[in-house]
Amino acid sequence: MQSEAVLLPEALQPPTLFEGPVTLGSLDDQVLQYPARKPPAAWYLAFAFTSMLMTLGFSLIGYTFYMGIGVWGNTSPVFWAFDIINFVFWVGIGHAGTLISAILLLFRSRWRNAIARYAEAMTIFAVMCAAIFPLIHVGRPWVAFWLLPYPNQRGIWTNFRSPLMWDVFAVSTYFSVSLMFWYLGLVPDLASLRDRTQSGIRRFFYTVFSLSWRGAASHWQQYEKAYLLLAGLATGLVLSVHSVVSFDFAVSLVPGWHMTIFPPYFVTGAIFAGFAMVVMVLVVVRETMDLKNLITAYHLDVMNKIILAMSCLMGYAYLMEGFTAWYSMDQYLHHIFLQYISGTYGWAGWLTISCNVLIPQLLWSRRVRRSYIGMLFVSLGVTVGMWLERFVIIVVSLHQDYLPSSWHIYKPTLVDFGILFGTFGLFFTLVLLFARVLPVIATSEMKVILPGAQPAHGRGRHE
Amino acid sequence: MSDGVFAVVGLFDSAEELLQAIPPVRARKLGRVEAYTPYPVHGIDAALGLRRSPLAGMVLAAGMLGAVTALFFQWWMTAVDYPIVVGGKALFSWQAFVPIMFEVTVLFATFTAGLGMLFLMNRLPFFGHPLLTSKAIAAVTRDKFGLAIEAEGEALDVEAAKTALATAGATALEVLPFQRELAPLQFMTRTAMGIFASCVVAGYAMYWVIKLFPVLPPMVHMEDQPKLNPQKASAFFKDGHGMQLPVDGTVVRGHLPYLIATQEEAAGLANPLPRTQPVLQEGRTVYNQHCAVCHGLLGTGTPTLTSAYGAKPANLQAQTIRDYPDGKIYHVIMKGKNAMPSYAADLTEEERWAVVHYVRVLQRAQNARDEDFQ
Repeated sequence: MQSEAVLLPEALQPPTLFEGPVTLGSLDDQVLQYPARKPPAAWYLAFAFTSMLMTLGFSLIGYTFYMGIGVWGNTSPVFWAFDIINFVFWVGIGHAGTLISAILLLFRSRWRNAIARYAEAMTIFAVMCAAIFPLIHVGRPWVAFWLLPYPNQRGIWTNFRSPLMWDVFAVSTYFSVSLMFWYLGLVPDLASLRDRTQSGIRRFFYTVFSLSWRGAASHWQQYEKAYLLLAGLATGLVLSVHSVVSFDFAVSLVPGWHMTIFPPYFVTGAIFAGFAMVVMVLVVVRETMDLKNLITAYHLDVMNKIILAMSCLMGYAYLMEGFTAWYSMDQYLHHIFLQYISGTYGWAGWLTISCNVLIPQLLWSRRVRRSYIGMLFVSLGVTVGMWLERFVIIVVSLHQDYLPSSWHIYKPTLVDFGILFGTFGLFFTLVLLFARVLPVIATSEMKVILPGAQPAHGRGRHE
Repeated sequence: MSDGVFAVVGLFDSAEELLQAIPPVRARKLGRVEAYTPYPVHGIDAALGLRRSPLAGMVLAAGMLGAVTALFFQWWMTAVDYPIVVGGKALFSWQAFVPIMFEVTVLFATFTAGLGMLFLMNRLPFFGHPLLTSKAIAAVTRDKFGLAIEAEGEALDVEAAKTALATAGATALEVLPFQRELAPLQFMTRTAMGIFASCVVAGYAMYWVIKLFPVLPPMVHMEDQPKLNPQKASAFFKDGHGMQLPVDGTVVRGHLPYLIATQEEAAGLANPLPRTQPVLQEGRTVYNQHCAVCHGLLGTGTPTLTSAYGAKPANLQAQTIRDYPDGKIYHVIMKGKNAMPSYAADLTEEERWAVVHYVRVLQRAQNARDEDFQ
């Protein structure tokens, strides 16, 4: 390794994944101190704010249950609006975490180890936010269990040809698998926390959830195997979940939805939005939790490069959407595509393109990729842009259907916005709680890539 | 076994030193040699002579089982148990079942990988493991590398094990006795009690949820909207009644006003229906449904309900009634007579006249003339 590195030109030198001296012990002390510490006042302030938003959201969901979904802006022919936009948006956010934990693991990207834990946690929280919407938008959420194929007195089964049914399976599998992945990664860290904690309720919980992990070599062998298998399985899942979500649209006959480009288009958008969210959260975590030596400028740089690449792919997808509309010679599709960029909602289309394609081009500059202001600006833009993209796809395609007499300008209500902000509250509340009680960096994974952690090559079997 | 020694464990400062120490320690064949490390160390599997993990095969099998399960259930549910045509496709069109097959495959495989690794392969949790209460545990989950010689079958030669580890360069040697006064046992008891208590609480709560849930009215405001309910007051009208009399002069659809007051007046009414087979058939059906219960199937006034019925229904075969013109019989059906109520609301005009025809048929059948037999 050393001799190879010397021969390489500077641009190809292995990146610095750590700044300053980091040892096995100091890593633990640095990362695992937080669960035992009283958080600063700023944490309480942030927590109060996010939990307030969350309470607002849940109150409005309760209000919706009481009054019925007439309190939302959805009206014929726009039957899907904020509910489905938010669902697609949040499921998408989750994808970055799975990509980082699964695909980048298979690619042996060593930089992923520092951010994997946080990104996986964000996946789980995002899917929790997403799962709220299909449940509340059915109107009678107390019978939402009808979505599941269970033997019932009515003697009927669910329709397995419906993409909505595929969605139920895809999202619930995604959540279960993400949770499994996250928990397996946590087990060794929980064992470290258990042995650092002397007594009390914390130790009780760490003991229970670390499942008496003791780092035996024979256990590590099975553990690594399981982790590798999970990564392989989750890789297929990253590609499948948002593809299935896109089938909800693509399998229908609505102009603007019925396109073969939808599955890859959705997956790209999901990873794009997810990375933007990861960058936003990581910047804050890195600053406030003083993790600059572990999450280095290089990490942020690489993630911003991925955002840039995804942004270019999004631009390509938008072009292809336009091309498909033109080439189809279908007057309905022509009409709807024109509605994306002109007409009542034309602003949303242009804002989508600006936020998702134009603004991220700033990331070609290395200075922007490494400046907080630059990357926060881009990431915020991407988050807004990706939300608006779903707005354009869903609302704009629906608001002028085949029957001009039922055309309708959709206007969201305050309740719609309240529930959207409520899910942001839920997400960040969970993120804050996570930072408070669990290790935000996977220490056992970081120890693997510490300089000098592995015996020199040539001895034993190298895997 | 219980008062013996489980293992002797020593610590190393780096993975390099640990890896170098393993071969000489193993060579002494004192017991099972196990390493405890804070992270997976490359090359340690071979050094310890660990066998290949069978996990991949298990996961493959579970994944295939998932695919087959999903395919089987979707086929059975949509093509066998509840066959329903969707979108004009064949009942069993496997292409549509692929997404769910994929998801179930991943689900089965993932849970086999994760839970199989923890519970089957590694036999976790084992809260009573002697290492967990040792001094070494805090070091090996942090930054030290432990090497242990563990008793395998027969009692461990503690002194020899200590020497072996010390010679290999291990420090902080520690003898781990088998757990007797198990702190973890108390812990397990407490956990079990906690789980039991939670189950009791959750079960009790669930009992009430299941008991109450079906009878709680759902929040459906469709039911609260202003509307007329039968037999209920209503704010729609000044008199507060939900049910109102029709406006004067209202003609009920399909029911012409019947202005004749007496049976004598009705004598002049002529039966508008022809005496044809379908009409007689209809008359017979209506008669058997509505009239026969009192007047009897043959019109003899000996009904099926005689014993329970105080009044005596008219004998339609009596001479008086045989002498009635059609209009008089029709009038009785319209207005009722003695204990008989009106059937104006139950029968349409056509049905009423058809019944009149049928009554004539019954009368003729019971009082046949000679020429009827020729």
